Amino acid sequence: MLLYLAVALLLPVTMSAVVRDGALTALLLSEAATTLAGLLMTGTFRLLASKSRPHRGGTAKRHNALWITATVWTLVPLFGALPFLLSGTLASPVDALFESVSGFTTTGASLIVQPQTIAPSLLLWRSMTQWIGGLGLVLFVIAILRRIGVASLELYEAEFSGTLGRKLHPHIAVSVSRMWRIYLLLTLLLAAALLLCGEGPLRSLCIALSTVSTGGFMPTEGGLTGLRPATSTVLTVMMFLSGVNIALLFHLVCGRPRPLLRSREFHLYIAIYLVATAMVALSLTAAGNSLRHSLSYSLFHIASTISTCGFYLPSPSHWSLWASGVTFLLLFLGPMAGSTGGGIKLKRIMILGHSVRNYFTHILHPSATLPLSVDGDRVEPDYVSKVYAFVFLYIMLTVAGAFILTLCGLDLQNAFAMAAANISNLGASPLLTNLGASIDYPALPLVGKCTLMILMTAGRLEIFALLAIFFPAYWKK
Amino acid sequence: MIVRIIALPVAVEGLLMLLCAWVGMAMGDATAHHIVLPGAVTTVGGTLCYLASRLRRHSAAGRMAYLGVTLLWIVLASVGTIPLLASGSFTSFTDAFFESMAGFTTAGASLFGQVEQLPACIVLWRSLSQWIGGFGIVLLVLAVVPTLGIGSYSLYTAEISSADNTAKLDTSISHTIRHTLTVYVSLTVIFIALLVTSGLTPWQAVNLTFTHISSGGFALFNDGIASLSHTQQLILLFAMMLSGINFAFLYLLFSLKFQSLRQKLDQLSFYLLLTAAATAVSMTALHYRMHYGWSDALRLGALQSASAITTTGTMAADTRLWWPPLTLLFLLLALCGGMAGSTSGGIKAMRVLILLRNVKKSVLGHLHPHAVDPVRLNGKPLADSLVTNVMVIFFVYLFTLIGASAALLLTGMAPIEAVGDAVACLSGYGPGLATSGGFGSYAHLPSAAKLICSLLMLLGRLECIPALILLTPAFWKR
Repeated sequence: MLLYLAVALLLPVTMSAVVRDGALTALLLSEAATTLAGLLMTGTFRLLASKSRPHRGGTAKRHNALWITATVWTLVPLFGALPFLLSGTLASPVDALFESVSGFTTTGASLIVQPQTIAPSLLLWRSMTQWIGGLGLVLFVIAILRRIGVASLELYEAEFSGTLGRKLHPHIAVSVSRMWRIYLLLTLLLAAALLLCGEGPLRSLCIALSTVSTGGFMPTEGGLTGLRPATSTVLTVMMFLSGVNIALLFHLVCGRPRPLLRSREFHLYIAIYLVATAMVALSLTAAGNSLRHSLSYSLFHIASTISTCGFYLPSPSHWSLWASGVTFLLLFLGPMAGSTGGGIKLKRIMILGHSVRNYFTHILHPSATLPLSVDGDRVEPDYVSKVYAFVFLYIMLTVAGAFILTLCGLDLQNAFAMAAANISNLGASPLLTNLGASIDYPALPLVGKCTLMILMTAGRLEIFALLAIFFPAYWKK
Repeated sequence: MIVRIIALPVAVEGLLMLLCAWVGMAMGDATAHHIVLPGAVTTVGGTLCYLASRLRRHSAAGRMAYLGVTLLWIVLASVGTIPLLASGSFTSFTDAFFESMAGFTTAGASLFGQVEQLPACIVLWRSLSQWIGGFGIVLLVLAVVPTLGIGSYSLYTAEISSADNTAKLDTSISHTIRHTLTVYVSLTVIFIALLVTSGLTPWQAVNLTFTHISSGGFALFNDGIASLSHTQQLILLFAMMLSGINFAFLYLLFSLKFQSLRQKLDQLSFYLLLTAAATAVSMTALHYRMHYGWSDALRLGALQSASAITTTGTMAADTRLWWPPLTLLFLLLALCGGMAGSTSGGIKAMRVLILLRNVKKSVLGHLHPHAVDPVRLNGKPLADSLVTNVMVIFFVYLFTLIGASAALLLTGMAPIEAVGDAVACLSGYGPGLATSGGFGSYAHLPSAAKLICSLLMLLGRLECIPALILLTPAFWKR
């Protein structure tokens, strides 16, 4: 894994060498460290894998799998933080780690106050972490898990809600490569489109990397300033698309639009997008902005929020409370399952909704048996209870995170907004706070930053996998 | 059927009005005589309706019970506005309805900032409404909720019926009601006696007991219970803690059946653990952040934690001035609530416990996908459907909260207040955040918001489902 990272680092290194922006030494050092560590790790890993394989049964593999997931998610951001630290962009190790975690989890909460002033190669690296994190880490992990023979599909089925292998291809490796292709295609398309719209090459690339991964690191201070109307339209569309299940996008690209068009989750996604946009646009108009402005603003804003991308435009001159409320709720929903976005995911919401409806029917007709199915897939009761547990946990973590943030001195409103924005991997959003300004991450105390890092990782990873490690039963033989 | 459910309680309510009028007159209250006539009319009307409904025999249709119980609370609260309006304490029906609903649902959210100016009959009326409401909840849980399969009842009986599994449902219900009534009344008497011995006047003792044993929390003084002596506060602390305990438990405790108690300690220990943890946290915070001495911090921390988890909402200090994380902690405690089958509100500790265990199960299930390990309570496995039902209730609760907060936002309230008041009213805690928290009141709310809050209190009291099911089209279909 780290080797892959090292390869990925090569790109900014070359760029730095070409542009001579002063970050070359730092990048080279990180490159060397990562490569070295990667080689070492791979060696040990092979050794371990070859030793352990004959003896262990399924459960032990699962233990390993979880262990690996946790290790990957600690090590990768650690090494990813090196360029920021060594180049002196962020002075404290924790800050550098925060930036890196925020990148790899595709959150996009940034501590760099003025991104336009840092070295372009670092800017690129920052966006690349998101791109790798967006699809990469999960799939990399799957690839690794396959090597030691773990049923990775099971492990990740809650994250990708069963759409990953089953729909695309029975063989997981094929699915993975297909998903990669789509991912790459989207990114290139977007970058090209942005170039065509007249943005600079670096800026196009950075924005493209951040958009498709629903990350949301922005190359400029205070939101995406100075966008051309065409660019913002392109971005809106792409943010919306990046919230769609990648498997369904693959079918679409292959000329089979039916799975996408018939997906109920997709219908819900569109419905929520339209309703939320209408609500925000109306409330912004009512607050005194021009209809045209508020409509274009909310189209962009809601696409960014629902896909948990986290780009934002400069705030409208009049701010509306109602718009903030809608934004806050959207954070919990998130986009479709199997996309790169965060949040609870619409599929889970649908399962919840069906379950509640079944419950009411059951009260009135106690003897009725009501199977639960979403998008034609029968959902087992056991899975339903898992979904409930997930959502419950998600909310609990948000509340706990917000509580710790209030301890750091934030007021309740900001604490909840910040916790929700980070667990859903949204990052920054101007409409979450009273002032209409983005949340002030650099001012947070150390504890607050650490809390947010945990929240980001919990939101990005499957929460269960993360938590299992903290249960004593996990360590028992 | 529905008339029959409602008429008798209304008649009783009329009698209580007469009682308040009589007490008020005895205490030299000038407004008390205004209540006599409405009280008499209510009593007679209620009785007549009840008698009339008895003439026709109805079979008890299950789904009518939901309608009945929802209407019952609405009617009780509406009729309960009569004394408030007649005495001139309120001029608007919405206000009186809010106050009355806060009484009968034992939420204890009040529009009165200055309670000491109220006429005696109104003070007693408010306390009585909570006391009756507190008992009504238990009746509700026992008699109506059973068909919901959620929980309250089946969980409640899971505890009480193990002594007599063979008993038929209806005999076990009437037994339970009798036991519960015994416990409730004897607790009330005991605490009145205790408070009187501790130096309060009988009048104060009665009112305080009524509002605390029912986990209601209407204040008797402008500054809550802050000016009471430490002994008196301790007594009230016990009253509150008991109000959060399942009645079946209390009955077993009083009848000294420790043997059967010991098998059912899960929920009780969770409830006590939460209270203790909250007390510890708030004590530490009060000491280090608010610079209270340790003993004061412990006293206030324990009182406020108990007040929150039992959703009583009584105030021993103005929590508006406290460190904000603490008020958040209290609201969360209130959302959790006391034990199922107690007078407290919230989601109920039992359900939270089941939810947590399900989380644990799901997490570990990830490790051992083929292990069959059901969620257990008191060592007994719970049916999957029951666990799902508990989770459904939790989410319905949550959706209600979100919807209500949005509605309150629309009436023009600040976000923090909107969410705080929604939580406080839905859980039956009472004091919200900011203006409506601490010694404050809800008087500043716009009338639309007052109406929404009244509905929230009702929903919270009925645990959402019986009231919400009336809104489904399927309910009205033949």
